[in-house]
Amino acid sequence: MLYFDSVSRIYEDGTRAIDDVSLHIRKGEFCVLLGPSGAGKSTLMNMVNGVVEPSNGSITFGDIPLNKKNLSGIQQRIGMIHQQLHLVPRMSVLHNVLSGLLPEVGFWRSLIKSFSEADQRRACELLHKVGLEEKQLFRRASELSGGQQQRVAIARAFISKPEMVIADEPVASLDPAISRSVLESLKSAAKHHGATVICTLHQLDYALEFADRIVALRQGEIFFDGHPDELDDDTQAQVYELARPQLKTAEAVAA
Amino acid sequence: MKTSIEQTRPWQQWEVYRAVTPKNLIIALVVMIILSISAHNTEMDKAFVETSKAVLSAVGIGDSQVLDGALRFGSNAFPIQIAERKEISRLENFDRNNLPLFAYIETGENREYDALTNTWEVEEAEFLVEPIGYLQKVIAKMWETIEMGFWGTMISIMISLPLGILASRNYAPHQFVYSLSRAWLSFHRSMPELIIALFLVLMYGFGPIAGVLALAIHTSGVLGKFFADEIENAPPGPQLALGASGAGRLKVLRYAVFPHVLPAWIAYIQYIFERNIRTATVLGIVGAGGIGMELKGRWDLFDYDHVMTILLVIFITVILLEFLSQKLRKHTL
Repeated sequence: MLYFDSVSRIYEDGTRAIDDVSLHIRKGEFCVLLGPSGAGKSTLMNMVNGVVEPSNGSITFGDIPLNKKNLSGIQQRIGMIHQQLHLVPRMSVLHNVLSGLLPEVGFWRSLIKSFSEADQRRACELLHKVGLEEKQLFRRASELSGGQQQRVAIARAFISKPEMVIADEPVASLDPAISRSVLESLKSAAKHHGATVICTLHQLDYALEFADRIVALRQGEIFFDGHPDELDDDTQAQVYELARPQLKTAEAVAA
Repeated sequence: MKTSIEQTRPWQQWEVYRAVTPKNLIIALVVMIILSISAHNTEMDKAFVETSKAVLSAVGIGDSQVLDGALRFGSNAFPIQIAERKEISRLENFDRNNLPLFAYIETGENREYDALTNTWEVEEAEFLVEPIGYLQKVIAKMWETIEMGFWGTMISIMISLPLGILASRNYAPHQFVYSLSRAWLSFHRSMPELIIALFLVLMYGFGPIAGVLALAIHTSGVLGKFFADEIENAPPGPQLALGASGAGRLKVLRYAVFPHVLPAWIAYIQYIFERNIRTATVLGIVGAGGIGMELKGRWDLFDYDHVMTILLVIFITVILLEFLSQKLRKHTL
């Protein structure tokens, strides 16, 4: 449902962040992007929601080409989960989730935070599914732990019934046990809504566990693309090194 | 190898730091001359002499014009006047059997100046005395002053909120609108309340309208700039996140910016409100309503005991206000 057709992104200083990438994400997939920092994962994702424009090539969502005119329509069909959470810290958990519905709510209603009962119930259902409780509903987002905040972000991404969810490092700053349960929440929510997920991860073991498909990037090019089972030990070792750039650096420093 | 061009000297001959040089001395001299001219222009020398005389006079050496002025006020200011005294023959619908609470009737002299014969005419008259009547009147005037400060702040917010949004770089619809709003705000800011009030009294006549509008116009310039700066400094992450989900600019402003800037805005508004009440007390001097009008009137009649009552009421109000807003600030932040 999402086609990248020989897409490139070249920055003004000549850096090729994305170099001639062609990729087709199929409906219902849980696709994990792997790659070291600077491989172009975030650039690729930011192209889909219009934050970054491709220098060459084209992106098609369903059968709609992505351009300035169609952008806001496409944005409403895609849910985003961001690297640094990007919840509004001083707003309640409930309204953070409901803010995912803003494009659909009338301006004057949105001004006084008047969301329909049905919308609020849906937000509660989503929050319950990702493991939050009623007592947290009117807490400020900043009062929650990192894992809980990431769950709120997942609920916000799904409230507009998106066809696709893009998650940029959803578990980057969480400890392993919480990372796993956050990813489980993400996967079950995606399955429940029949949504396609593109997700960047650092950790190969989570990718192997959760992904239907792994796309590994290196220096803006696709280096591996396939089912997790197709990753033989040799490639795995290479991907593993890609996915753990910090480990390699640490070893270099130690040596 | 560029250092080879420069000459190097043995360390004994290195130039070291010297605190006093001819150049420094000349600069110091010029600064002193400029300062002394300016001080003379503002009569700082006289201020020093007169203050010294006042201090000496206070311990019994010589006379002082400054101390005389202070004593002239002080001796008439105390005891302060809190009673209201009205001549009964001038009161309409006066009912001798139904006096106001605590009021009583007093007989005394009424002195009237006759300009034709150039003499004082003294006649017996009856007066209605309300023991705390004047204090009540002053407190009522002070309340009017506080209300002026309140409405000045409210109208100021109404002006500065839309202007502040238009004057924030990231939410202005166009660069031109941004520059225009900024210029407009600084125009409002640059006019002192007393001068605006002077014009408004001409337009709206004497009374609190002129005062309220003068306060609103001046402080909207200050508040609007604060509002705009806060919006510009709000963290961009949440705004990007909501924007990327397809929400419009105004909705992003409402959901990602307002919750963040609200505490700072409330603190600014509180400060402006406090400031407006303090300023409203003097606006009456140009006839723009509030307690200042009463103050100016009594001052011109040399009723220093009444003036002292007014000053004490202002003083206590300002202290109470400070106390209250401190409590509020602890509560909100």
